[in-house]
Amino acid sequence: MIDFDLILRILIFPGFTFILLLTLFCDWMERKIEARLQNRVGPMVAGPGGILQPLADFIKLLTKEDIEPRGVKKTVFKFAPLLAFTVMVFAICFLPIDGASVLSTTGFNGDLILILTFSTIASFLLFLSGWASCNPYGTISSARVLTQFLGYDIPLFLLALTPAFIAGSLSIFAIAHQAIPYILLAPYAFVVYLIVMQAELEKDPFDVPDAESELVGGVTTEYTGAKLAFLHLTRDVQIVFGAALVVELFLGGPYGPVIFGLPAFWYSLWFVLKLLAVVIVTEYITTLFARLRIDQVLSANWRILLPAAILSLMLTVALVTWVYPLV
Amino acid sequence: MLNSNIDIVSAIESKLKDKVQIHLGQLGTATVDTSNGLHRDVLKAMMEADEKTTITAITGLDLGANLGVLYHIRTSNAFITIRTEVPKDNPRIPTITHLIPGAVFGELEVSDLFGVIFEGNLLSGHFVLSEYWPEGVYPLRKDVKANEVKLNPPPAEITQPKDKNIVKIIVGPQHPALLEPEKFAVTVEGETVTKVEPRIGYVHRGIEKASESRTYVQDVYLVERICGICNACHAYGFVSAVEKILKTEVPPRAKYLRVVDLELNRLHSHLLTLGHAGLEIGYETLFQYFWRDREPIMDLIELISGNRVYASLMTVGGVRRDLKDSDILQIKTTLENLRKKLPFYRQLYENEASIKARMQNVGVLKREDAIKLGVVGPVARGSGYDIDVRKDEPYEAYGEIPFKEIVYTSGDTLARMNVRMDEVEESINIIEYTVDHLPAGPFRVDVPRNVPAGEALSRNEAPRGELFYYVKSNGTAYPERVKVRTPTFANIPSFLKTAIGGNIADVPPNFVSLDPCFSCTDR
Repeated sequence: MIDFDLILRILIFPGFTFILLLTLFCDWMERKIEARLQNRVGPMVAGPGGILQPLADFIKLLTKEDIEPRGVKKTVFKFAPLLAFTVMVFAICFLPIDGASVLSTTGFNGDLILILTFSTIASFLLFLSGWASCNPYGTISSARVLTQFLGYDIPLFLLALTPAFIAGSLSIFAIAHQAIPYILLAPYAFVVYLIVMQAELEKDPFDVPDAESELVGGVTTEYTGAKLAFLHLTRDVQIVFGAALVVELFLGGPYGPVIFGLPAFWYSLWFVLKLLAVVIVTEYITTLFARLRIDQVLSANWRILLPAAILSLMLTVALVTWVYPLV
Repeated sequence: MLNSNIDIVSAIESKLKDKVQIHLGQLGTATVDTSNGLHRDVLKAMMEADEKTTITAITGLDLGANLGVLYHIRTSNAFITIRTEVPKDNPRIPTITHLIPGAVFGELEVSDLFGVIFEGNLLSGHFVLSEYWPEGVYPLRKDVKANEVKLNPPPAEITQPKDKNIVKIIVGPQHPALLEPEKFAVTVEGETVTKVEPRIGYVHRGIEKASESRTYVQDVYLVERICGICNACHAYGFVSAVEKILKTEVPPRAKYLRVVDLELNRLHSHLLTLGHAGLEIGYETLFQYFWRDREPIMDLIELISGNRVYASLMTVGGVRRDLKDSDILQIKTTLENLRKKLPFYRQLYENEASIKARMQNVGVLKREDAIKLGVVGPVARGSGYDIDVRKDEPYEAYGEIPFKEIVYTSGDTLARMNVRMDEVEESINIIEYTVDHLPAGPFRVDVPRNVPAGEALSRNEAPRGELFYYVKSNGTAYPERVKVRTPTFANIPSFLKTAIGGNIADVPPNFVSLDPCFSCTDR
């Protein structure tokens, strides 16, 4: 007995195809926002307003020659980009998108920890892909990826626990499905989380691993063709994942008013709209700052963001224990 | 000016009176003829008399049996040429790099192009020529025909360095941080830079040699091609040197029009760099903004010269085109619009936290090092070393135009960028003053095609700093020797010093703050 509904959910909506299209759309929108903020026009040619440009770029890279330089660690070099992409998409499958997650269930208690681990694994795979390319730019960039995500994972986990504390659960469904989005209950955690996420996603002002003026292409320097396409796609999916996690943790997930008809439709719509709002905010931050140096990035983490995350957690514990019961 | 620089000449005279011959008024303030080896004593005497003594350029000359070596030395108020000769069959001369470390590149270039051996210079090997250049062929000697040189074949296999513990980051020849081909092998330990090895010459076009086989008129357009950005300064440097040999007096209107061209040049060059610095520190927005506002300046250059990039406005005896009244109006409107935007940019470069984080205390060049290394332009002025040829030795109409010399003292990358930021405003003021006070009259005088035998040098303040031209004529329509010392050539040694000990991420912003131009450096 084949469950067609489940296959549809995995392959089409809200599974792979939907996530892929959403990723490409977010990529287009980011480029457009950045371009408009910089007095440029951005993509214009492929499709209306250049909306097909990310897809065109992706297809173009797939058709390019796939070079494997001498001296690379072959297996890792080949599979790390694909694996990183897969892990990221898999992580998104655990997030409730149309009211439920891709696998129809609404997860289990502890899936928050699971998907955070997935995102760490994806970062680690990106590190491996650069390390395996045996190129000085790739190597240094990889070292930066590693130092950066090792540092920033700690405040990220702590801050992701803040909503979990308020909800009293480690299940994403339980955290997201609330009457009041947690941005209102813990705005302090939300602000810090956004900054930490910017660092996790390696976006300006924290995009030291792919500082092109120092490290050329960063971890992707030696990559060409399909592998490069997947590395780029992984970066884009990471951004969607990061934004989706913000939506689930702080903005009430996909849940919102159902005006008429199918709740699944409205939930998906709310999810996409909230996600795009988060992407717009992160893109604004990206555009407004210069890139920091790696030592500045690290000291920002250990001196400012980690204490801020701990304080935010302490404040939340205090609020949950003494204040919220009174309200 | 001449009165105040008696002291340096008399200082030389008092120390080495019977050993040297001093010709006042030749090639700068004075020319000092010395024998081989004695040039160091002259230099020492000058350095004792004036702490701001440093080198501008070293010119090689083919004099038949001998090779001439000319040291062009600038002090706080004088410009002295020390002339010495070495025999062709034994072209050895002691180095001056222990006195002035900034001379190292100049010496390397002369030894590459003329075969003069500077004993004691620690660097060796080809500097501007290809690795495959044949031994014993020195292109600027008169007996070498440029089209008969055969390069050695490249080696079949390139050997890899053995030491695996050293990580070398190769910046260039093809690198996103550089717009032009140039190589810097940066040795790093972790993220800290321990050594920088430069290699220039990837786009060496032999313009100094080529200019010897073209007429003076053709050469104006040739030297303009040395640098796309400061092309007006190059054309001006050449024509003014030729005018000095011809003893031509340029009409006043031409002098003012030249200032307009030179300052527009500076304006667009500074805006370019201020934006490019943003790109190097990952601040793309800043880059896009600056380059947007630079575009109207390019339009102005097209308006006054007919060409957007290569203005080709300068010509021997004046300028090629006059300025219409309607053009003046447009210039003033455009500049006024730019001036309105400046406070925003200034506030960015003064207060924006991420710019400060990346530029403050990065690549600090102390004043005494700046003098020793002979840096010029905004790099020198950012380190509190006040040299500006427009003030020190006013040329064209600069003596009549009021403007400020911008000096910052902290010597870091931010200071160098802020010097440029302020100079943008000064340039706008200068251009506005110039078009308001444009004298009437002709804008060009006719000059003979054949230039009488003689030699002259010319200095002007290009956007990147002091640009030096030396022209020697032999009475024909073709120059005997044209020597160009571009500002970037003088500034690169400072980068080799300031990059060490810094973070690898500091390399691009530090480097771009020199406003490097490699096509200039290579020529």
